Amino acid sequence: MDNSPVRVLVVDDEEDLELLVRQKFRRRIRRGELEFLFAHNGKEALEQLLENPDVRLVLSDINMPVMDGLTLLNQLSEVDQDIQAVIVSAYGDMDNIRIAMNRGAFDFLTKPIDFNDLEITIEKALRHIHEMQTALEARDNLVAIRQELDVARQVQMSVRPKELPENRICEVNAEIIPAKEIGGDLYDYFYIDEFHLGLVIADVSGKGVPAALFTLLTRALLRAATKNHSSPAECLNLVNDLLSEDNETCIFVTLFFGSLDITNGVMSYSNAGHNLPRVLRVDSSVVEVPSTNNLVLGVLKGHQYSNDQIQLDPGDTLILYTDGISEAENSLEEEFGEARLDEKLTGLAGMRADIVLQDVIDSVREFAGDAPQSDDITCLVARMHDPVKSP
Amino acid sequence: MSETPKLSVSTEHNDPAVIMCPAGRIDGNTVSILEGALQEQYDAGNNILVFDFEELNYISSAGLRVLLLTARRSQQSGGKVIFCGLAENISQIFQISGFNDILNVKSSRAEALADL
Repeated sequence: MDNSPVRVLVVDDEEDLELLVRQKFRRRIRRGELEFLFAHNGKEALEQLLENPDVRLVLSDINMPVMDGLTLLNQLSEVDQDIQAVIVSAYGDMDNIRIAMNRGAFDFLTKPIDFNDLEITIEKALRHIHEMQTALEARDNLVAIRQELDVARQVQMSVRPKELPENRICEVNAEIIPAKEIGGDLYDYFYIDEFHLGLVIADVSGKGVPAALFTLLTRALLRAATKNHSSPAECLNLVNDLLSEDNETCIFVTLFFGSLDITNGVMSYSNAGHNLPRVLRVDSSVVEVPSTNNLVLGVLKGHQYSNDQIQLDPGDTLILYTDGISEAENSLEEEFGEARLDEKLTGLAGMRADIVLQDVIDSVREFAGDAPQSDDITCLVARMHDPVKSP
Repeated sequence: MSETPKLSVSTEHNDPAVIMCPAGRIDGNTVSILEGALQEQYDAGNNILVFDFEELNYISSAGLRVLLLTARRSQQSGGKVIFCGLAENISQIFQISGFNDILNVKSSRAEALADL
């Protein structure tokens, strides 16, 4: 907060209140803590307030010519909702005091004014104003933080890959349904070179901005690592070493990286602790893409990742997903689970990638019902089409 | 969220180790409860910890991260962390993530204590 004086407007048609205030608060006025403005009736007061919008407290008599204190009270909230008023009234004038309080006065004083009473009441009002201001600033900060989180989410969502150009081997569709709090899911697909399509899914531990930053970092590192055309495992070795270095926070990434040879449908892959992807065969059978028994990324520098490969035939569909799907819960706290996923997939053999994707996501949502979505739901579907014609 | 916390952490002393028994779920919403319980042990100078997961139903990646931090922190101060009593779903998470290979995991509490 700034250190400019708190401004108080004193409204009275007689001089007594002004004299009393100037006299009794002179030290605090000198120290620059308080500054008093004066008006002689309600109308003047409103004019003062328009000229001095930073006035926080009004101390006003009730009986005045032109515009009385109660009418002024009514108009205050139109000038500034946060302005506080203390009303001065004749001793025993309970009717007017009650009206004033009903019209939103913060407190009242009675004439003849007792100085202690005046000081205490003004102090109390100023404290209240200060607390209100602090609360408002806290609220504004919260709003700002929320907006930053929204920006972080937008950045995360905006780095998703563009639609894959038509190619001879497969169609790819993917989707992230973000949870309320920004999460750490990631999918990516891109051409590693003329003949290899990179397919990626990943999940960074935890949520919030740290997870989102780690997600962006992982995506950039992996894309960079593929530039020298090494195997998936070699790429993960590099990404892991870079992520593990000085990773005090122990944030880690589970990640599956496949490199699909578009000339023959062989996918080489390495799996850093991620859920096992599924292959839906043309005959409706569902098989797991076997684990390469590797550790999550970012934990142990020097860990050696290994490669495996799997053949994808025409009509086969590869499904990569995060635990936002397998661990989606319904209101009974039951998990969607891999078994339900496999069962769902069985019925989708041979269908277009976008239909498989939508059906999987729909069935997870239907299962979860009204239960809150606690994690990002992410799925990537690649469906092989006709065999490659030899060039 | 007005729901009661879905995690409670009880501790037992079994010299030289402290046995941590989290019951319920460790996820993004409850992980701070575990962190609080662990901080108490560090503050008391206890860095030999046995996690008995007998009563643990679920652990998310946010929870796994704290386990990693704990293991690293204990190691760095000459202590030791052992995990035991993993239910099948949690055992599976440990296996898929590769944590089985870098964390000390035993099948029972007796085995864990014998390894101290």
